[in-house]
Amino acid sequence: MDDLRAVNRDVGTNATKISARGVQVHYGDTHAIKDVEVDIKERSVTSFIGPSGCGKSTFLRCINRMNDTIDICRVEGDIRIDGDDIYDRTIDPVQLRARVGMVFQKPNPFPKSIYDNVAYGPKIHGLARSRADMDEIVEQSLRRGAIWDEVKDRLHAPGTGLSGGQQQRLCIARAVATDPEVLLMDEPCSALDPIATSQVEELIDTLREKYTVVIVTHSMQQAARVSQKTAFFHLGSLVEYGDTDEIFANPKDSRTESYISGRIG
Amino acid sequence: MTDIPSGSVARTTMDMVRGSLSRRHRKQFILQALGITAISLAFLMLFILLASLISTGHKAFTQTEITLEVFIDPEEISAERLPRGNFDDVLAAALAADLPSVDPNDRAAMRVVGGILSNGAQFQLRDRVVADPSLIGQTIALSVPVSDPYDQLRKGLLDRETPESLRRLDDTQIAFYDRLIEIGAITSSLNTGLLTNADSRFPELAGLKGAIMGSFWALLTCFLISFPLGIGAAIYLEEFAPKNKLSDFIEVNINNLAAVPSVVFGLLALAVFIGWFGMPRSAPLVGGMTLALMTMPTIIIATRAALKAVPPSIREAALGVGASKQQVVFGHVVPLAMPGILTGTIIGLAQALGETAPLLLIGMNAFITSAPATPFDSATALPTQIFIWADSPERGFVSRTSAAILVLLSFLIMMNAIATYLRSKFERKW
Amino acid sequence: MTTLAFAILLVASLAAYALNRRAATGIRNGGARLHSVSNYHGLFALLLMLVPVLVVILAWLVLQGSVVNAVVMGGLPDGTLTGLEKGQVDLILAEIQSIAGGRVFGQPEPWKLAAAERLTELRQLAALGLVLVTALLCLAIMIIARKKVSAEFRARQGVERIVSGLMIFCSVVAIFTTVGIVASLAFETYKFLRLVPLTEFLFGLNWEPQIPIRADQIAAAGAFGWIPVFVGTIVITIVAIVIAVPIGLLSAIYLFEFAPKRIRAVAKPLLEILAGVPTVVYGFFAILVVAPAIRSIGASLGIPVAPNTALAAGGVMGIMLVPFISSFADDALSAVPRAMRDGALALGATRAETVLNVLFPAAIPGIVGGVLLAVSRAIGETMIVVMAAGLMANLTLNPLESVTTVTVQIVTLLIGDTSFDNPKTLAAFALGMMLFLVTLVINIFALRIVRKCREAYD
Repeated sequence: MDDLRAVNRDVGTNATKISARGVQVHYGDTHAIKDVEVDIKERSVTSFIGPSGCGKSTFLRCINRMNDTIDICRVEGDIRIDGDDIYDRTIDPVQLRARVGMVFQKPNPFPKSIYDNVAYGPKIHGLARSRADMDEIVEQSLRRGAIWDEVKDRLHAPGTGLSGGQQQRLCIARAVATDPEVLLMDEPCSALDPIATSQVEELIDTLREKYTVVIVTHSMQQAARVSQKTAFFHLGSLVEYGDTDEIFANPKDSRTESYISGRIG
Repeated sequence: MTDIPSGSVARTTMDMVRGSLSRRHRKQFILQALGITAISLAFLMLFILLASLISTGHKAFTQTEITLEVFIDPEEISAERLPRGNFDDVLAAALAADLPSVDPNDRAAMRVVGGILSNGAQFQLRDRVVADPSLIGQTIALSVPVSDPYDQLRKGLLDRETPESLRRLDDTQIAFYDRLIEIGAITSSLNTGLLTNADSRFPELAGLKGAIMGSFWALLTCFLISFPLGIGAAIYLEEFAPKNKLSDFIEVNINNLAAVPSVVFGLLALAVFIGWFGMPRSAPLVGGMTLALMTMPTIIIATRAALKAVPPSIREAALGVGASKQQVVFGHVVPLAMPGILTGTIIGLAQALGETAPLLLIGMNAFITSAPATPFDSATALPTQIFIWADSPERGFVSRTSAAILVLLSFLIMMNAIATYLRSKFERKW
Repeated sequence: MTTLAFAILLVASLAAYALNRRAATGIRNGGARLHSVSNYHGLFALLLMLVPVLVVILAWLVLQGSVVNAVVMGGLPDGTLTGLEKGQVDLILAEIQSIAGGRVFGQPEPWKLAAAERLTELRQLAALGLVLVTALLCLAIMIIARKKVSAEFRARQGVERIVSGLMIFCSVVAIFTTVGIVASLAFETYKFLRLVPLTEFLFGLNWEPQIPIRADQIAAAGAFGWIPVFVGTIVITIVAIVIAVPIGLLSAIYLFEFAPKRIRAVAKPLLEILAGVPTVVYGFFAILVVAPAIRSIGASLGIPVAPNTALAAGGVMGIMLVPFISSFADDALSAVPRAMRDGALALGATRAETVLNVLFPAAIPGIVGGVLLAVSRAIGETMIVVMAAGLMANLTLNPLESVTTVTVQIVTLLIGDTSFDNPKTLAAFALGMMLFLVTLVINIFALRIVRKCREAYD
């Protein structure tokens, strides 16, 4: 654990961006998330770790209400972004998801051109006033996704034709194109090879200059490399949450300790 | 969204998003409304279809009858000449007794009176007398069907308000009818003849027995041919066939056969079975063979799906204890797939039961007044019988056609219910 | 007698099974180690007998009738058949057969009575022969099979070879069927083209198949240009597709994306009912309800409407195709991976935008394949048009007029008594050939698209 370079970067602010209180999630009869409380800092990278099935992805999907799309899923409790209750009945999930972008485990570019993939979000939300405006947004987003140089000559080639790592960076570019405040990433590197992984990790590290990033990962090394804060989930509960170097160097809970040292997982 | 440090950018973005929301939700609402309209339209059509069939068809389930005191006049009917005799005159005379305004010697008037009864009435009387010749000279009570126009009149399908010249019954005939109603001679009863009679030129006598038997023989033939052939082919293709040109070709063939228009199968049957092999026309056997060729692809496709659903672990387990490939397949895989195979077969047979066009081409639309005793006899089938009746000009056949359709639909619903039951009873989640 | 033959076969094969099984068990009890278990020795004998003898019996039954008839007709007194046409010869044969069946009308000539008697004799002889042959064959096979039983005999392999052969035969029946269709259509079409030139058939603008039945009848010479029939088919198909595609697609989208679970649970089986209604019922619905409704609407608007409009037939066909299209669309939409849906929703797309911009384009190939199959169904659909469309071939594109279709012509030309040397009958086969070719091309194309679409996300 000695390459914790992320720690050396300054965290932009100490303000709380997302705060969760008493969150419960039920999938049918299964109690998937039990009473989770967490405060996520603005413009930092927070990672969720834990053994598979521990509920870390489920909790992530609560933050942009993606769980609404699953019929049997019920969410209780209180999640606020900048103090707004996102499960309030006046909040439109469509608007919320423009504010909270998401990147998935498996790269999922639409079967459209690279340009159209990135332009899709701004188009549906009406963010571009003109064609030039749109070109501008697409270029900027692709630059933020650190893929501009690779695709600038073939913007109209299908996005599905890219390599896995490029596809994932395209999906990140697509997510930032709507200018969100929060970026959720659900194991964004699990389908990528090591080289592509390191490119995406580097990208994540730069993204926190502008966005609040929450990343679910099954790799402790990755959590250590990219995040400032780490939350450890076990059997649906949030066991421990704190500064990344603290958690890894000196866990307070025995379960965290067992997981980190590889005894459960 | 209060304390956002990079506020100005984020706020404008969110404002833009918010601005687009109502337009986008309206679009979603329109799409949803269109979807609901489309599906309601489809169901409305289904409803109109069923409602029109039931509203016209239910009338065919009752039959107007007339109860007569018949004096079996030995002058008209003698035991020596049986089964011949003037049964119609005897019946007309019995009816005239109830209608005081009619002069029994007025032949024209008597013919009108006789016309009140169905043409089948005299045969009903004849059968009764032939069975028991001692009735000659006695007076017996007899219930016989009335002819179609009077049946329509009772069911309200014949409008008394139409001008007399356009009506199928003139004022005198309606007066006869009213008189018979008055004395309580006219009754209505459940029309069992619809299921127990064979076809007839007279709507009030026509029944479905011949068609049901024809369909039964055809489906039996179809099952006996398509079930073993279909299962054999499916097992081979799914479990044994090597991946080569031949099995690819067979696959393409089967998929295409499933989509070949049914009338083409009729042409095949007409040319090959009847033309080249010299098999009999109009026979349920030939109909069943034709339907078998059409049903086979359905059974093959269903069987293969059922076999595919059996997990490989079963096969591996059996192979692991040293069973041969065929022992595995016939001993373990096929029995496990059987519910799926049977469900597919029943659905295939239900489709075959409703198939009409190929049966028309091989002549199963003949006019046949007796039910087939064997699959070699000429016969009609339920759907072809519906076609024949739908084509008949007599008004009475309209409600018979609807009733026949209701009978056909209830057979289909029964078969599908069995298939659904099988599927839910034996379905296994691996 | 035929039943007796089958009974003999059944009993004999069961006996052969028992015999071989017992023999094999005997060897095992004698201390030798059998290669195959005794059950397989029995099964081997059973199959060895059942399959060939069954083939012989069925072949005998198929051929018996024509052989007996040929012998009887050949045995008629010299000269009775000279100068007679085929139809008249058939009539004589039918008369002899009905005399033999005990239905005598009037006073037949003595030679007919003699022939009938001979026919009865021959039939009895043939039936007796069948039983004898069956019995002898069974006996012979039983002996051969019994001789095979030995400790080393690989009975299981023998059984499996026979079963394999049977299964391959079953699979090849599909090829036989296709070959049968192509051969019968091609053969009759060839005969048709000897009477009517190909160019006239393909490019002629008149379809009037009413040709004189007797040579002295004065009637139209008959015209066999299929263009008006084909155009009529296309008009009705277009009407059907124009109705079915939007209704089918919109219902599929609604049920897939928006409908609450309970509505879906009711709506899908109802759509299946709509799909399961036989076409003859739709045909009756068209003439009972739809055609009169269109006529009265037309009358109230002052538009002249033909009695058998293409609109009525096509409209009802469209209703029939709605569940077909919606189930294909549903399959295609379900085949799009969930990740696509999630991706769009996570960007803040509404559900309508997700379906229309992401799922629908990805599902297009599958949907197009389904629509093409629906087109092929509409072209080949018979009963609705036979009952609700017209008989006269009008060259028109107006759906309010009466048109005829390929299938209507096939059925009307072939209903009633047919003989195979009449251009009217042969024309039906030529139309059938065209129908088969057109639908075949569409089907192959559509099935390929559907399969590609299914593989794309596997």
